[in-house]
Amino acid sequence: MSEPQRLHPAAILEFFIHNIYGLLKAALPLLIVFIAGNSFKWLLLAAPFLLSLFVLYGILYWFRYVFYVSEQELRLEYGIFKRKKRYIPFERIQTVQTSAGILQRMFGLVKLQVETAGGGSEAEFVLPALSREKADALRQILQVGNRILENHTETDASIKYSLSTRSLLLLASTSNGIGVVLSALLVVVSQLDDIFSDLDIWNKIAGFAEHLVAGKLSLIVLFVIALLLVAWLFSLLGTILKFGNFHLVREGNNIKISRGLLEKQQLTIPIKRIQAITVVEGLLRQPFGMVSIQVVSISNTGEKGEGSVLFPLLPKQKIVPFLQEVVPEFAMSLQLQGLPARSRTRYLLINIIPALVIAISCTFLLPWGYLSFILLLLAAWLGNSQFKDAGWETEHDKLLLRCRRLDRITTIIPHRRIQSLDVSQNILQKRISVNSLGVAVASGGAGTYVSLKGIEDEKNDLIINWFD
Amino acid sequence: MRQNPEQRIDSRAIQCWRWSAIIKSFFLFFIPAIYYAATHLWDWPSWITFVLLVLALTDAIFSIFIKPGITWRTWRYDVSDQEIDLMHGVFIKTHTLIPMVRVQHVDTEQGPLLRHFGLSGVSISTAAGTHEIPALADEVAATLRDHISELARVVDEDV
Repeated sequence: MSEPQRLHPAAILEFFIHNIYGLLKAALPLLIVFIAGNSFKWLLLAAPFLLSLFVLYGILYWFRYVFYVSEQELRLEYGIFKRKKRYIPFERIQTVQTSAGILQRMFGLVKLQVETAGGGSEAEFVLPALSREKADALRQILQVGNRILENHTETDASIKYSLSTRSLLLLASTSNGIGVVLSALLVVVSQLDDIFSDLDIWNKIAGFAEHLVAGKLSLIVLFVIALLLVAWLFSLLGTILKFGNFHLVREGNNIKISRGLLEKQQLTIPIKRIQAITVVEGLLRQPFGMVSIQVVSISNTGEKGEGSVLFPLLPKQKIVPFLQEVVPEFAMSLQLQGLPARSRTRYLLINIIPALVIAISCTFLLPWGYLSFILLLLAAWLGNSQFKDAGWETEHDKLLLRCRRLDRITTIIPHRRIQSLDVSQNILQKRISVNSLGVAVASGGAGTYVSLKGIEDEKNDLIINWFD
Repeated sequence: MRQNPEQRIDSRAIQCWRWSAIIKSFFLFFIPAIYYAATHLWDWPSWITFVLLVLALTDAIFSIFIKPGITWRTWRYDVSDQEIDLMHGVFIKTHTLIPMVRVQHVDTEQGPLLRHFGLSGVSISTAAGTHEIPALADEVAATLRDHISELARVVDEDV
């Protein structure tokens, strides 16, 4: 590995596809103009030229894409016209991830990504096509070189957790992705409109809607339900593809996660890079007594709740054993001290007042608007559970905070991971002598802030003393 | 009970903030002025000019005459070997503790107004964000910066 290495030649294909895709995305309007403007012939003539140009570019790019290991650094040199060199010292590496997409699978290869704490959603070091042996060798070197990724191979009795099919189905059917999928569907529909503008899709839908309003309200309801069902099925499928085949292994000082049905993802999280652990009890999953365990780590590439999932679905009573086995560094009993009764009113008001405003404006603006006063009951219920669920506890080197917005979130933060702690008090809180506690923890970008409102003054002093 | 921090920020800060508020308010008055001009060109309701004017005036009075004094009076800080302790705010009083070992780097910064008054701001960065002490005398700020950076260097951990 100390010799400069090239990627597997399949990378040429990857670069080629990537570039063509980029060009198509950028030049799509131009392309449509060409096709519409009868210049189709010219396009056909130009295509072979363009394609061979791209193939040539891909080959050159592959030829100049070189990586090697030297002086405890991972080095990458690439670029045809503008040479770029990227050196990453081993001790700055946060995670090493391998995955295999369709292209990689065709050739029996893997893609290797190395992340550092630097911002940005892309990994800092990407090797798109690598033979399995080379990837393993590189991993080995990184693990030996990086004292944090250090591997204790002598402890063979490693801990394993897998997601059962039943859990996967439950996870998928209660995933909160419905809204996302629904908006994606709407985007697709609006795109269809652009493409088939002759078909007048919206006029048809409008006609359809008029037809419905003309007396068949139940059909609208059916339509909406059907739409929601489709969205739900999509999100179900998405979750199954993403989290299918989920395995977690604790090996020495690392946690290794592999998941994915179509695209297999492998992720290594060094324990020392974990800043905090959160137990998330989703509103939909709470009735089933299921939680998901997530980590706050320095570099979270990808969307929130994706790269940071430690285990997607776990029965409540297994949380403590899971933590003790997989991350004993963070294990603590989840018993906590609640808030004083005098904070309850605050929690109720802060939810009820906005609901009241909405309900009143609905009553004035909409027919049947006074039905929205049901919101008040929901808000009161939410406020009450937010108050009941909020709490905290300290255990010699760990802080436990729990609060609820909609989901109930319990956060375990080791003392040495707290970047700063603040206590704030507004005038209203001063009158009943309670405080808000806030804790900042490092994570990708600006950091994560966990807060708890309405703790008694004396208890707050206890926490500050613990912090000192 | 924990001792509250005691160091105050420089009292020249009040004058400095006052001037900065005056400049800001000057630009703020452009909004009613432009709207007033617009009512002549188009048929827009003229009472809004009045509302905008009152809003701009209230903001000017508050930010020029009231806010700088209060902010100065409520700001306190302390730097010990172990931690940095910041306290500020009127309606919401915030007390922030930053352990010295978590400090990544310290900056002093100075805009044209601050420079005119011989003041500098000190900002303290951790891995999870930046905290600022807004206005200290240049020498005090420089000493504090060096002091904190000296203390923070003692323990070098990863993040």
